[in-house]
Amino acid sequence: MGSLARITGCGMSDELVVAHGLRKGYGAGERRVEVLWGLDLAVAHGEMLAVVGPSGVGKSTLLHLLGLLDRPDAGELRLFGIDVAALSVDERARWRNRRIGFVFQFHALLPEFTLEENVAMPLLIAGEGHSTAFAAAAELIEEVGLGPRRSHFPDELSGGEQQRGSVARALVAKPELLLADEPTGNLDATNAEHLFGVLRQLHLSRRLTSVIVTHNEALAGRCGRTLRLTGATVEEACSKT
Amino acid sequence: MRSVLGFVAGRYLLGLRRRTHVAAVSAISFGAMALGAAALVVTLALLEGFQSTIRAQLAEAGTHAELRPRVGRALPEGDWLARLRKRHPELEVRASAGGAVWCLGPDGAVPAELEAVDTLSRIEVNRVLAARLGVGAGSEITIASPRLVLTPLGPVPTRRRVVVGIVNPVQPGDDRAVVFAPVSVGAALLDLGAPRRVVLRAKDPRQAWRVASVVQGEVPEGVEVVSFAALNRPLLAALALERAMIGFGVALVMVVAALNLLCNLALLAAEKRADVALLTALGMTPSRVRRLFLLLGLGVGALGGVLGTALGGVAAEVLDRTHALPLPRGVFIVSHVPFRVTPASVAIVLTVSLVAALLASIAPARAASRRDVLEGLRYE
Repeated sequence: MGSLARITGCGMSDELVVAHGLRKGYGAGERRVEVLWGLDLAVAHGEMLAVVGPSGVGKSTLLHLLGLLDRPDAGELRLFGIDVAALSVDERARWRNRRIGFVFQFHALLPEFTLEENVAMPLLIAGEGHSTAFAAAAELIEEVGLGPRRSHFPDELSGGEQQRGSVARALVAKPELLLADEPTGNLDATNAEHLFGVLRQLHLSRRLTSVIVTHNEALAGRCGRTLRLTGATVEEACSKT
Repeated sequence: MRSVLGFVAGRYLLGLRRRTHVAAVSAISFGAMALGAAALVVTLALLEGFQSTIRAQLAEAGTHAELRPRVGRALPEGDWLARLRKRHPELEVRASAGGAVWCLGPDGAVPAELEAVDTLSRIEVNRVLAARLGVGAGSEITIASPRLVLTPLGPVPTRRRVVVGIVNPVQPGDDRAVVFAPVSVGAALLDLGAPRRVVLRAKDPRQAWRVASVVQGEVPEGVEVVSFAALNRPLLAALALERAMIGFGVALVMVVAALNLLCNLALLAAEKRADVALLTALGMTPSRVRRLFLLLGLGVGALGGVLGTALGGVAAEVLDRTHALPLPRGVFIVSHVPFRVTPASVAIVLTVSLVAALLASIAPARAASRRDVLEGLRYE
């Protein structure tokens, strides 16, 4: 049994993410647990997809596969029109650096670096000069409303501010695909709302393709499409946005 | 452009933001490397201090080069020796021939070697002979040769009564009893024949090592030039061996410090696993993660080594200049423990620090680069 139904964008074409029969499990022998049972998925350019479902159903696993942090046991995954199985370790790292932006629930920011340094980090890793990287970081920090806090360290920022900083960092290298793993998971309702607003605004202004894993049904409902993973099955719902 | 690896490593090393136990352990590793390097520098400076004193004594008292016949017992005839003297006024050239004699003094009769030297006008004895005979400058001694003369009392050895002009110092380790005499005295006692060897000394003892190479091209075929190094090979080899073995022993301190560094880096890699996972997720390749930790190891090890080298060098210089460690007079040839820091010993210590730090960093760096990213992202 598996989530074999082909899930496509709601009336959209020009797919940026295409997955066929993605399977992923952990452990070996009797202790092996299958998480993804053969997922088919397509995410179109400019789409904002929410992935919801109970814990342990494979939401984060899916995000890790899409973000090239893990490899599927079986199935095909094409990003930006290319089969990612053929990419070398260094190429996958380069894609994560330049083409994919991440927002994580934990470890939003590196604790030993200021907000500005955190946001500039992807560009520094890419080999950009400090002045270029810090100028781009300053611009994004302003855009997420944290201008006055740019020289603050993470432990001097609130949870919501840290996550907004994390969003700024995810987008500083101008990626095409944004992946967010429960970005509002640790935030109160007000901060969650604020963060989602920022995410949505940047998604639109930067013409991003976004996949957001969340437990927050209300926020998921405001994404263009919701993918509901329930173990062996997948349900899809489109929203009017 | 500053490298991101240098930027991240610098921040982790300083650890100013979060005063973690890893930062404290890093400081201890840094101190251990510095201490090891300082100990090595001071030890090498001490060895070099003593050994350079011995080498200076050797050059001061000994022969700087020697010319010997390649075949037979006598040097070739000709005016090459006169030409050598004329061309090198900076050298003392003493051609000598001689043989075994007995010397008689206040303390009895002592077998000795007589060297009839063409440049001498007075009798010289070396310190060994002077001590055995119980004589000094101005004393009278009798030299008796194995050549017999017939007298009414039967055959008796040829003898000459002479006054000691000067007592020469001896090279360390040389226990031969030698009397140097003018050729006229030597010829009266022994059948001298042609010179058997030529002793060369530079007037400036610091040139001792160069003398052989200076005269090498100016002696006829059949004459072997024995250099200062070759003349003193056993002693110089023993000094070099002593230096190498003691240096190696003290360098083990650096190995202990490097093992401490290895533990520290392993701790650092464990504490920063979430950071490393995040940096990997942001596009840092495993090879760059490995280089980041190598840089961290080198940062602690190499900087500790540089600081220790500097501190050790300064300490050795201060100890030497202030004569802080006096030695009993009459027992040692120097009045205080000498220290001498050389560029070579500094280079050795810096290289040892660098290599030890690098070797200590390899395993933690490799482990950090191979750690599962997803595990790191879940790790709190």
